[in-house]
Amino acid sequence: MVSASSIVVKVWQLSKAYRNHRAIENVSLEIRRGEIFGLIGPDGAGKSTLMKIVAGVLSFDKGTVRVFDIDLNSETSAERIKQRIGFMPQGLGLNLYADLSVEENIDFFARLRDVRGGELKRRKEKLLAMTRLDRFTDRPMKHLSGGMKQKLGLICTLIHEPELIILDEPTTGVDPVSRRDFWEILTELIHYQNITAIVSTAYLDEAERFHRLAFMYGGKVIGDGDPETLRASFPKVVIEVATQDQVEVLERLRSVFPQVNGLGGRIRVFADRTISKGSLDRIFGEIGINHFEEVEPSLEDVFAMLIEPGSSNPQLDRTRGKVVAPRLNEDLPSKGKHTFKESIPNCHGETVIEAYNLTRDFGSFRAVDNVSFEVRRGEIFGLLGANGAGKTTLIKMLTGILSPTSGEGKVAGSDIRRAGREVRERIGYVSQSFSLYQDLTVVENMRLFAGIYGISGKRASVRIEEVSEMTGLGGYEKELAKRLPMGIRQRLALACAIIHFPEILFLDEPTSGVDPLGRRRFWSILSNLVGNEKVAILITTHYMSEAEHCDRLALMHGGRIVANDSPVALKAQLRADIGELLVVKARNLQKVLGPLRSIFPNASFFGNKVHVFASDPERAKDKILETVGRDEIVEITSQDPTLEDVFVFRITQLERMERT
Amino acid sequence: MGFTLWWIRLWSLTVKELLQFSRDGFLIIAITYMFTLDIWLSGNIHIELHRASMIFKDADQSEFSRELISRFRSPYFRMEGEVFSENEAVSLLDRGEAILLIDIPEHFQQDLLSRRSVDVQLMIDGSNTIIGTLTSTYGSQIIGEYSLDIGLDLLRFHLDRLEAIPRVELRPRVWYNPNQEDERFLPISELLTVITICGLMLPAAAAVREKERGTIEQLLVSPLTPAQIMIPKVFSMTLVVLIGTMVSVFGVIKGIFVIPIKGSLIFFFSTVVLYTIAVSGMGLFISTFTKNLAQVAMLVLVVAMPVVLLSGAWTPPEAMPLWLRRAIHLSPLYYFIEMSYGILLRGAGFEVLWLHFLGLFLLGSGAFIFGAYRFRRQFG
Repeated sequence: MVSASSIVVKVWQLSKAYRNHRAIENVSLEIRRGEIFGLIGPDGAGKSTLMKIVAGVLSFDKGTVRVFDIDLNSETSAERIKQRIGFMPQGLGLNLYADLSVEENIDFFARLRDVRGGELKRRKEKLLAMTRLDRFTDRPMKHLSGGMKQKLGLICTLIHEPELIILDEPTTGVDPVSRRDFWEILTELIHYQNITAIVSTAYLDEAERFHRLAFMYGGKVIGDGDPETLRASFPKVVIEVATQDQVEVLERLRSVFPQVNGLGGRIRVFADRTISKGSLDRIFGEIGINHFEEVEPSLEDVFAMLIEPGSSNPQLDRTRGKVVAPRLNEDLPSKGKHTFKESIPNCHGETVIEAYNLTRDFGSFRAVDNVSFEVRRGEIFGLLGANGAGKTTLIKMLTGILSPTSGEGKVAGSDIRRAGREVRERIGYVSQSFSLYQDLTVVENMRLFAGIYGISGKRASVRIEEVSEMTGLGGYEKELAKRLPMGIRQRLALACAIIHFPEILFLDEPTSGVDPLGRRRFWSILSNLVGNEKVAILITTHYMSEAEHCDRLALMHGGRIVANDSPVALKAQLRADIGELLVVKARNLQKVLGPLRSIFPNASFFGNKVHVFASDPERAKDKILETVGRDEIVEITSQDPTLEDVFVFRITQLERMERT
Repeated sequence: MGFTLWWIRLWSLTVKELLQFSRDGFLIIAITYMFTLDIWLSGNIHIELHRASMIFKDADQSEFSRELISRFRSPYFRMEGEVFSENEAVSLLDRGEAILLIDIPEHFQQDLLSRRSVDVQLMIDGSNTIIGTLTSTYGSQIIGEYSLDIGLDLLRFHLDRLEAIPRVELRPRVWYNPNQEDERFLPISELLTVITICGLMLPAAAAVREKERGTIEQLLVSPLTPAQIMIPKVFSMTLVVLIGTMVSVFGVIKGIFVIPIKGSLIFFFSTVVLYTIAVSGMGLFISTFTKNLAQVAMLVLVVAMPVVLLSGAWTPPEAMPLWLRRAIHLSPLYYFIEMSYGILLRGAGFEVLWLHFLGLFLLGSGAFIFGAYRFRRQFG
């Protein structure tokens, strides 16, 4: 049992509305001393509102909020807790001063909090060393990288040694290495200084970092607890099948299981818990699949289930069978070569995007640096990277919005430098921000884009119906685009982008801010598109978990591509390079931290666990038990590395190579 | 095929622009106001002297002085009363409660009867130059007439013998607006200004809105040419302006003020279309330099000011120095004003105005082509 005094924050039946929009509805939570508590949810779920209320900077309508046993029911009580709280608002470095140097920023926040003299010097030195910003104290904040800004923000939040820190989406848009770095620092701080942290995030793969977490959706907490308990609550068994021939195997699996999810090179099957191992063997055997393994459900699976119980992949089921619609252009006179593709050639694997040493400079800044890659028809090619890694610039070059500084590119067989307009007739584009007309309805938007590509009248009506069926927009036709929820909006953007039968689809972060369920629907629509219309898709994302859906991936970092292969191959390569991933669960993390670091300098923390890589897992296990002590270790399990592991390794390796 | 495709694109985008316009309640209210109420208000403003408040200081208190004062009459002047000290008079003028003071000295009547010339002082609030000038002119005229009358009278000259005296007489005869009613002139001038502002602002706003909301990206990755993006904006907004103009002409100018229109309305509306397209080109050109609506509004002001100043709408070209007078040919509003007054008030036809028409056309297509060029260039 948790004693009452160890509860730092207690929220009870809290509600808050902005005018007639309910931001938070009947939320109850308890946050204990010394834990990292996560708030996970899509944009608009109410995370920021909740955090601001707990920080005492926002009033609320109903319920009670107690922080350090002080009831936040008035301005004065809110003032009383503020000295003991550190709050970092959302947005990279938004609370910092761009023109002040690192040190000046810290000093400013210290003076605000009345920290001075030797005490300030001591704290500053310690925090700067921990965040490895000590070499950059003179650098103006505006010249720091995203990750460094975030670390500086953290120092400024911590300078008055608060007992509770509240960090609103600290890792959004930060590159994987800095993200991991940030978590290391945070975890270390929590362990050594016994402070409590509330951290919000839109990335579900970060959920493992929390001791406990709450899933927020539509202003409500739809599930909370520690990651293990949440995972155990998942009502289904997840089975993974590795396959080369995805379309075929997917089809077969769908005839047996209601919920099937295609990822790059792998298929996830959701089966009832009641089915025994034996009958599973038989069912899979009957459809000709001999190799499959049961895996742990991800927290994303859990979240999706909580949003819509009983279904983690409904869109696919509803549209299944219908998506193989008659190809409209077959019964149309294909007069204009630029209006429709003649037909879909069966040459799967024909290269449709070629980039050779593409480079783009903005003044003295090189946004894209010597990038080369190829994308084939029928393939989902993922471009991963943090904000500012060069993804959007690269896409803009390929779509002909920007011209390259140097290098060559061919899209759909045409040179991007010379044949801009020809290229543009054969591509579809969904931009980062919603770039359709918000004051037009769903159908009006689609009709407009049909018209732009020369499809009018009855042909347009037929195609619009077809496309809205494919993207699941039925029932929303008369709705103004601005009134659509985020997930639906992105589907409308997709619908408008495919209305003219493009050969290639460019999707620039189409899923940021969309909830996991919405993201899954979006991805299943994409995999249908690839399967049925044989388009090539180039998609960018900063969700590492989404990268798994891609057939091939390229990671961009600082304008360059640092890895380019299929997810499976990338992970296999990582195993060959640094070994298996071991998850160490300890009784008391503080005690094992030092010893573990001495054997595995790259050991990293995930909530109450430690991840280490070992080329010889068995020997490593023995060594850990030996060094740390058998009593301290609860268990050591091995786990599939994530793509984030791959990318963090690749980037650090690259940086090391450059330094020497 | 090429033509059909062009037409489908044009049509789809024009429909889109009009739909967007129809969903912008604020814009609709603003446009409606400008083409109706604003025009009507302008017809109720007069630039002639109308019941200007005046006071008098009469140190003479004689028959003659009262006669002079009584000649300052409605509709030009309104007597506010008598003051007894200069200080009082100055303070009333300073506070704007009076525009004119007539100050009659002692012995006014006596001096006149002794056949000596006398001075009368007029003090005028000149802070409004037009009213000040008008007051001064009318005042001198009244005093001049009085002086003549009193002079002739004292010389025992009978008025009926006046005819016998040879003198040069000015008899102004005003064409087209014989009664010099300015409600004929002002609403039309206001309408032309409204058309100018809407023509500049609406397409520029439509274009910059696409930038602000990021919708332009979607158009840029489509095979549309810059002209195909721009023309529908000009098209639809010209339609909006044309409808506004019709409402204004039939509803306010003909309907309420009953101003007789001498020329062909079809010719006038064609001129409006041509002019709107010309200023739309300038508006789109403006939009290529701006990032948001606020910047558009600022730049429209910066551009509209010289266009209006140079056009001769406020000051006749003849009053400008020579080098400026040459520059008026760069203002599309100049041609538009000349043509509009010509058609509406003088009944001029194409055969008279074709040179202006040509000027407007050249200027318009120049602005439009340059705008289209800039439009593509801005996304380099």
